[in-house]
Amino acid sequence: MLDTFEILTTSGVVLWSRTYAAVSPSVVNNFINDIFIEEKSSVAGAKNGASAAENPPYKHDQHTLRWTFEKELGIIFVAVYRSLLHISWIDQLVDNIRAIFVGLYRDELTKPNTTIVECLTFDQYFDQQLRELEQAGGKSDTRALKSEVLSEDTGDEPPSPPNNRGQQALRGVSPGSSPNVSRPGTPSASHLLVAKAGPGAKLSRRARKMQNTTSAPASSGDEGPARKAKAKPVKRGRKWDADGLADEDDGVQLDYSVPTLTSDSEAEPGARPGAVEEVDASTWGSQTKGKFVLRDLGDEVNSILADADAKKNAATKTDAPSGLVGTGLSAIGGLFRNVVGGKVLTKQDLDKAMKGMEEHLLKKNVAREAAIRLCEGVEKELVGVKTGSFESINARIQKAMEASLTKMLTPTSSLDLLREIDAITSPSATSLRKARPYVMSIVGVNGVGKSTNLSKICFFLLQNKYKVLIAAGDTFRSGAVEQLAVHVRNLKELTAREGGQVELYQKGYGKDAATVAKDAVAYAAQEGFNVVLIDTAGRRHNDQRLMSSLEKFAKFAQPDKILMVGEALVGTDSVAQARNFNAAFGSGRSLDGFIISKCDTVGDMVGTLVSIVHATNVPVLFVGVGQHYSDLRNFSVKWAVEKLLSSA
Amino acid sequence: MSLQQTLKDLLEASLTPSPTVILFGLAFCLLAPILLHFLYSTATPYTTLPSVLLLGPPGAGKTALTTLFERGPLDLPLAKTHTSQVPSSIELSINSDDPSSASYKTNLDEAGATAKKFLLVDTPGHPKLRASSLAHLNSAEPTIKSSLVSDGGAKSKIKAVVFMVDAAALADGDALPSTAEYLYDVLLTLQKRFHSRNGSRAPASMPVLVAANKLDLFTALPAALVKSNLEAELGRIRAARSKGLLDSGVGQDDLAAGEEGDWLGGDGSEKFSFAQMMEFDVDVDVIGGSVTGDGPGAEKWWKWIGERV
Repeated sequence: MLDTFEILTTSGVVLWSRTYAAVSPSVVNNFINDIFIEEKSSVAGAKNGASAAENPPYKHDQHTLRWTFEKELGIIFVAVYRSLLHISWIDQLVDNIRAIFVGLYRDELTKPNTTIVECLTFDQYFDQQLRELEQAGGKSDTRALKSEVLSEDTGDEPPSPPNNRGQQALRGVSPGSSPNVSRPGTPSASHLLVAKAGPGAKLSRRARKMQNTTSAPASSGDEGPARKAKAKPVKRGRKWDADGLADEDDGVQLDYSVPTLTSDSEAEPGARPGAVEEVDASTWGSQTKGKFVLRDLGDEVNSILADADAKKNAATKTDAPSGLVGTGLSAIGGLFRNVVGGKVLTKQDLDKAMKGMEEHLLKKNVAREAAIRLCEGVEKELVGVKTGSFESINARIQKAMEASLTKMLTPTSSLDLLREIDAITSPSATSLRKARPYVMSIVGVNGVGKSTNLSKICFFLLQNKYKVLIAAGDTFRSGAVEQLAVHVRNLKELTAREGGQVELYQKGYGKDAATVAKDAVAYAAQEGFNVVLIDTAGRRHNDQRLMSSLEKFAKFAQPDKILMVGEALVGTDSVAQARNFNAAFGSGRSLDGFIISKCDTVGDMVGTLVSIVHATNVPVLFVGVGQHYSDLRNFSVKWAVEKLLSSA
Repeated sequence: MSLQQTLKDLLEASLTPSPTVILFGLAFCLLAPILLHFLYSTATPYTTLPSVLLLGPPGAGKTALTTLFERGPLDLPLAKTHTSQVPSSIELSINSDDPSSASYKTNLDEAGATAKKFLLVDTPGHPKLRASSLAHLNSAEPTIKSSLVSDGGAKSKIKAVVFMVDAAALADGDALPSTAEYLYDVLLTLQKRFHSRNGSRAPASMPVLVAANKLDLFTALPAALVKSNLEAELGRIRAARSKGLLDSGVGQDDLAAGEEGDWLGGDGSEKFSFAQMMEFDVDVDVIGGSVTGDGPGAEKWWKWIGERV
């Protein structure tokens, strides 16, 4: 069933985890990378408070991950299970665990300068939830049925103490090693419980023997190091044995045990779940006691969940203004704080300012889709944040937007073109690869400057003394081959002195471009060229017939890099262009980067950069900034962000 | 009546330009700010701890090291870690009597030794999130918000940089360039910091520890090899960058000014070595160790940090 359940912080530390079957840590790492850092999914990653059902499941290898995120505390709750299984209650589990964990450990989680959260006792709560949800089985709304389930649980079919005991022992034992031995007579057992009850049955035998020979406290000594409350055995007597049954309906007192988990005063350890376990261990022979413990934990969990629910409802309701004077005062206070800072931002505060930011981005030629996504991301990030002293809302938004843009535009792996070419053309002896020419191809819509940018790249490579072959893959437009021939002639003259060599490979018009490209690569390998640059015909991105030939092209030419040229002049259409070209190379291949041409013609309005990166998550590698061969630049994120946010 | 008279006299006396009044006035003007300063500086407690910045590519073991140092004295098991998204800082204390012999495992509260506290700041290593970590190093006196959790925390001075690398991953080709690239950016930022000093005062030197992690693994390279590999790769990156395309936004006018900026290391020598960074008060050490397993452990790193905070 469930493979693993982890509670981890955004700073990367796992606070609590339960593993049933070993899952490679790379599964969760990839999940974090894709959802939170690179934001590959259509839903922005940092969605606060969305339940696990709303968050799309993340699939990796054979695993499916259901997750939810508590933004305020920066905690991610993630459940990993095999994709083959269908677990209907998994969303409920993730949500409930989140409510319980946050309810129990909120104080500890907000402590600065530490990563330690004492949550050994959380095992109890998790087990309880898991049991409950499993029993509820396929019922869709377990939350509503909870009290019913609970009464069934404790009344009709009391889980026998050996089973309970076995689960506790399991925590000490490595879960992966527990084989599925004979099924013990636990009435409430479902699939998971069978697996868990394996060692339980064994242990119960041992425990039975121990009960015959020794007294109860001695058997509790068998419990293992996790039992924290053992040091205070006096307390359990007072609280649980004396008025135990009275307690089980006493919601108030149980409720008060929640905040005590973090404090250390004398009377409290009795309320800790650790103590509950111990009572169980010392008196587990009695059916009623075992029942009582289970019931009590269920009540506590229920009260926490109810609290969380109530809070959520309260939060949605408090929007109503509290009278005329109240609003007036708060408005003045808000204005004051807006200037002085130290204001906790709410959605209302942000709405207007975000509207302004969105307008600003649109003015910079960012496609509306991308602008909205950016603004929503920033807004989500800022709600609930306190502004610094003397920091206005606008300044805060500016700062957040800068960070957000930087994160979006920064590529995951930076490109060092010369290095990559060297690695391919003269591989190290240990890598067992054969030397071959490095193949780059350039695609794009008509008239964006494919050939021009190709010759700019060629010029750059020639300056670095590479031997370059230009393949005329545009076998369609009249004059395309001659145009490249002119470029090659110019480049030859320009770089003859610096030691670069360039040649044109052309087969005239009307031939299949993919075949020409393939032949060019073969020819280059034969003649010892370092780099092959393949030009392609411009094509309209929404013309299915023209786009489909790109897949064949990618298969035949096997380019190391496919770059798309997009012009900075284009507006909203850039999103569709980038998407269609990115998808055109078949399932196994996508674009490797963009060249944004004509950046010199748009001034500050470089929004196209953002639009295409937003659409594809493919980085911008180069920008064209002029008419000369040397006017090709590496893309600098800082430059782009400055231009986008400048308000001239 | 007499009260009024005396007040009037006093006022008159204070407004007459007599030497005593001028002296008093001058003394007040000069001393008041100084007094106020002392008043405030003693009123606010010394809360800003020095900090050590932990950088490195993802998967090198930064967060693992953080948890190791934090949990070591408390005898807690090492926490599992995943990719970080936000920086986090932890407060650590080191034996200030004898930093060289101290172990991160000793609980200083129990040992009764005088403790020197500092913050260890763990940063996310993902390339998309590096920019903010590097931004901390930019100024001449690198500072970092001491408590990253709440806004408006006091600034804390960065005393040292620990750059974690995965020595086992460096053995095969793909990890080396990306690791070296990050290290290049870090060193270049530190070098630029040296140039960006204002006034005659040189910025404080910034020690950098390249911590070669995961030496417990069989495939890991020893520290010496990590060093030479990184140096070679840094030299290669340096050469490639000098030949590469210009960054967008750099006009022809900036070329002359930016000339010195992007060449890492002082002289124009062919090979790069960490010793060249000494010229910019950046002292680079490479020390091997391991966070988990029964390798050399993390004691050496702890000692290095202890000597520098």
